Amino acid sequence: MSRAHDIGGQTGFGPVPLGEDGLPFEHDWEARVYALNGVLRARGLYSGDEFRDAIERIPPQEYLGLSYYERWLRAIETLLADRALLAGEAPPAGQGLLPDREGG
Amino acid sequence: MTLRPGTRVRARLADPDHHTRVPGYVRGQTGEVVEAAGQWPLPDDGARGITPARVETVYSVRFPAAALWGSGTHWVIVDLWESYLEEA
Repeated sequence: MSRAHDIGGQTGFGPVPLGEDGLPFEHDWEARVYALNGVLRARGLYSGDEFRDAIERIPPQEYLGLSYYERWLRAIETLLADRALLAGEAPPAGQGLLPDREGG
Repeated sequence: MTLRPGTRVRARLADPDHHTRVPGYVRGQTGEVVEAAGQWPLPDDGARGITPARVETVYSVRFPAAALWGSGTHWVIVDLWESYLEEA
């Protein structure tokens, strides 16, 4: 099954946006998602391969509309829901674990 | 099986329903082994929670850019696990 992430060689997506300040994160919530993934990985809740798989399992119509770290958060939510560590349906990306993300 | 540098190989057409490290743009394409790049756990197993994951030789394989993209005179080198490959 080909997935939405496998776009090597495809064109038409425009330039990759780069921040002008040289900082690795555009918003504070992105750094928290990065750190959250590091903690969960370090605690052995899932492997790097499982994390990549979870990113690639995001439905195409959703995947293409999400930013890089929104995909990370969506994957974390999926993996935690799979392991019954997150109750109920995984919320929309960025709206469950980090409700204040708009404020950066 | 150890593939020597220069061996002609084809990336398998199989398109599994889970994480794999074969990019779509080399699937079914013929390339040439550059070198063996060590033994590594198979990500396809890791992604499915299969432990221990099978450990395979990973090969750096080069493909002519023009065959992949329709233009270009350079090589595109992709690291591919042994089970992704068949001899061409």
